[in-house]
Amino acid sequence: MIRDIGYLKILKTGPGTSVQDTGRIGYAQYGVPISGALDSKSFAWVNHLLKNKDSDAVLEICQPGLKLQFGAPTLICLAGAKAAIKLNGGIIASDGIYEIRESDQLEIGAFHLGSVLYLGIKNGFQSDKIMNSRSWYSGITSSQFAKKEDQIPYFTNQDYPSYTASKVKWDFNWAQKNVIEVFAGPEWKLLNKKSQELIESMQFTISELKNRMAVQLSELLPNTLPEMATAPVFPGTVQLTSGGKLIILMKDAQVTGGYPRILQFSEEGLSVLAQVPTRQIIKFQIKKSH
Amino acid sequence: MKPRFKQISPLICEFEWDSAASDELLQYQLTFKKNLQQDFDSEITELRLGFKTLAVILSNPLNSSVFEDWLNSINPEEISSSLPEKIWEIPVCYSLATGRDLSSLAKLKNINQEEVISLHTQPLYRIHFYGFLPGFMYLNGLKAELHTARKSIPDREVPVGSVAIGGSQTGIYPSSSPGGWHLIGQTPISLFDPKLPIPVFAAAGERIEFTPITIREFDQLARHPRKPEFR
Repeated sequence: MIRDIGYLKILKTGPGTSVQDTGRIGYAQYGVPISGALDSKSFAWVNHLLKNKDSDAVLEICQPGLKLQFGAPTLICLAGAKAAIKLNGGIIASDGIYEIRESDQLEIGAFHLGSVLYLGIKNGFQSDKIMNSRSWYSGITSSQFAKKEDQIPYFTNQDYPSYTASKVKWDFNWAQKNVIEVFAGPEWKLLNKKSQELIESMQFTISELKNRMAVQLSELLPNTLPEMATAPVFPGTVQLTSGGKLIILMKDAQVTGGYPRILQFSEEGLSVLAQVPTRQIIKFQIKKSH
Repeated sequence: MKPRFKQISPLICEFEWDSAASDELLQYQLTFKKNLQQDFDSEITELRLGFKTLAVILSNPLNSSVFEDWLNSINPEEISSSLPEKIWEIPVCYSLATGRDLSSLAKLKNINQEEVISLHTQPLYRIHFYGFLPGFMYLNGLKAELHTARKSIPDREVPVGSVAIGGSQTGIYPSSSPGGWHLIGQTPISLFDPKLPIPVFAAAGERIEFTPITIREFDQLARHPRKPEFR
């Protein structure tokens, strides 16, 4: 196969559009965040449908108002949030595979369900690979978020792409749960019984402070736990700050922290959380890990 | 010196020690980490240190009894390999121009700026692990006289290379970032290079020493960067 380079040009973008893959595994020992797709389930789905490698890089879109132009033919696949999407002005569904021709324009409008949309491309985006990952992160890759006029490289085929396999339905409902399974964190046992029961029974609101580093919950908890000796934290770790805030660490979070780690999301739970819009309610269902 | 084992999620577990951070504990943690890596090479994706912890990220779920049995089988009295001898010299320009909180910290501590500098440059600091920011070293060894509670309102931007004090810790900001520590100086040395296979120059267990330089030397080194030196 001849692999020529084509470019995806950003004509317009809101904040929070970035290239993501499976992230930087093994670099936390140097203080480097794992990064990678916030919703690893939808990320895996676009690569799967495109018959890409599991780790191929995709575009992660967290806000409406994105307009793109493809410089060369390819196949793309959408999954994750349900959004108003137009291909060359015509409305298309926000899931499944589309054939793209030279100069095609794609527009992402309002999000109806979910918070994060993934745009996968045949053979993945080819932006710089640093520390074994193309995931954008400030200070490691040259870009952190896409800006107008950015050009992101991908491989194009000489022929017009075609996609003939039968349509596979994407289930938009998987991320519509508001009860999320979590594990007790290493400092869970230090909480008193009352706090534990409160966390298990309370409803929590996703605050406006939601980004690739962390999601802060609006409700405050009484906190009597002191800060602790700095220890490793992970995507999905729930910290209880000295002010009583609950902070759920996401993929770009720092790798160590000094706040008690009271809960831990699974990768699946983290994918669900990534899709929950701000001001929505979640509840924790605490599972024993063994 | 035997740690406790905690399963956090099917793919994350942790060993935790009861004693406070010290050279002795670090020496034990590093030996423990090496043995764990050897014995579970194919099961472990990543091992990460904290001051009193060692976290394990698994490639596949493993029954926690496997680690508990392993823990019971090791000899806690086993002599661990000694900590490295390498000492890195970090040139620091201590001044108000390069460390905007130098005089306010001196006032808070009721000492003069020269005493702050002298107290900060006396010890050798032990590198325990990296975290917070890419290339940020967690150091042990700040003199109690310099312990200062973090700022109640963090600064929006701390310049790259800033040498700072927060609580019982001191550290160097490898990149500009928001931060709540008191800035007392700045190093022109680069602490993190994402283009290198190993992006940091120093390893856990090695030590660093802060060496005062003038603002003139700082400017020169900033213009003509050099790699840090060790002895």
